[in-house]
Amino acid sequence: MAAERTNVSNDLIWMITRNQNAYLVRRNAGGGSQFSRDPLNLVNKHSFKYAGYANTKAVGVQATENGDVAVTTKKPSNPQQPGKNQVTVTYGPKTATRKIYKGVADKTAQNGYRADLREEAVARVSAIRRSQQPKKDAPASKARGVKAHQAAEKDE
Amino acid sequence: MASRPTVSIATAEGKPSGASQPLPAVFGAPIRSDIVQQVHAGMAKNKRQPYAVSEKAGEQTSAESWGTGRAVARIPRVSGGGTHRAGQAAFGNMCRSGRMFAPTKVWRKWHQKINLNQKRFATASALAASSVPALLFARGHRVAKVPEVPLVIESKTFGSTFTKTKAAIALLQAVGAGEDLVKVQKSKKLRAGKGKLRNRRFRQRRGPLVVYNPETDGKDLVKAFRNVPGVETSSVFSLNLLQLAPGGHLGRFVVWTSSAFEALDQVYGTTTTPSALKKDFLLPSNSVSNADITRLINSSEIQSVLRAPKGEAKTKRVNVQKKNPLRNKQVMLRLNPYAAAYSKQKLGQQKVEAGKPTRAAATFEQVLKEE
Repeated sequence: MAAERTNVSNDLIWMITRNQNAYLVRRNAGGGSQFSRDPLNLVNKHSFKYAGYANTKAVGVQATENGDVAVTTKKPSNPQQPGKNQVTVTYGPKTATRKIYKGVADKTAQNGYRADLREEAVARVSAIRRSQQPKKDAPASKARGVKAHQAAEKDE
Repeated sequence: MASRPTVSIATAEGKPSGASQPLPAVFGAPIRSDIVQQVHAGMAKNKRQPYAVSEKAGEQTSAESWGTGRAVARIPRVSGGGTHRAGQAAFGNMCRSGRMFAPTKVWRKWHQKINLNQKRFATASALAASSVPALLFARGHRVAKVPEVPLVIESKTFGSTFTKTKAAIALLQAVGAGEDLVKVQKSKKLRAGKGKLRNRRFRQRRGPLVVYNPETDGKDLVKAFRNVPGVETSSVFSLNLLQLAPGGHLGRFVVWTSSAFEALDQVYGTTTTPSALKKDFLLPSNSVSNADITRLINSSEIQSVLRAPKGEAKTKRVNVQKKNPLRNKQVMLRLNPYAAAYSKQKLGQQKVEAGKPTRAAATFEQVLKEE
């Protein structure tokens, strides 16, 4: 946490908020599943490792409305200034997906940032990219049996 | 503590004014959610009004038991005739129109005594938590655009001219609290249940809490803020835990006026100098001087004096293919450490290399077969 605040640490924040916080989504389905709505959570799972708000360093990957992929990271230097604390890089829809992977992987894993999140960050980019693809129409079903015969006869 | 951290003071436009304040000592108080929750639970009970059912409810008949021998239960039964009610069971909690089980009484213990020092501890703790952005986010405040937490605004913004709600909203939007106001407005929902009929028709989220110093800021700003949904105002001298940690959840978004922020050291004192306004109150001190235990453990000072771990971490291999140790030398070595020496010294070949055994002497057979 902040070097200047000695009474706060990431673990403490997690212990205070793990039972109840604004991002937590609890459902009885699936044996009491716990998810997180935190934008800085890469897998939407309620756990300390992925909790963006509780970690000084965190990565978030989000799809934007106009088809971009926005990658957000937290600056560890000034935790008391939320307005200046986040850095967002957006990749437009024309950027090659592999180029985004590279950018995200470098951002998360290089310089000792959060190497443990690299795989999840890249996977999330991939999932977002896939969701942004235009949906293909299902191919028209081919005629079978009697209908196929009738169609063939008509052609002749 | 080397240098005391400072907090910059923002202007009404949300820009840094250049001035700054040393962080009051309250913000270094231990953040104890357990104490805050306990005190909050007690304090929330202290505003309750007594309620009870009527003393007479379910007891207003002259029913008597019919006794045994009438093939009905011995419960008191309403006397008389000419109405359906006659002969029906009465009084019991299991009876229709009987009295309830353990009728509620107005002399229930409605209020809780909370130790004064605990209340002060909880307030200090909630104040400290209100200066941690992570806890504000976790409580659901939209503070992503706020320049700094704790958020302090110049006192000269307020004063007798600051009376209009329009100005109050403009101020909150300028300092980055606009998103929080939008959140409150969108959250307004019809309450579930009977509360709707009891003057609690809607429920909504809480927005920022504006803390002012009535001595220097005056009380005009209360009028400016009071019609902004979700926004509450409070004087520094009478901060309330129910506002600082609504629902017992830490991390209320607090907007300070600079003179209120200055007054905090006077109100709460420090861990060594008693508070000027609260009798016999010292701020609670932390049991560890650095809460970041992970950092302590990984520090070179501690790592350098630690013994090396005894024994190595072993991973148990499961679901692996079984290898034949007679064919696979590495597997054999793992199972039988002696196998290395055995093969190195060629103990297995000794008999072969020694050649064929020599035939026993002829006398041997003679001796063997001797009668």
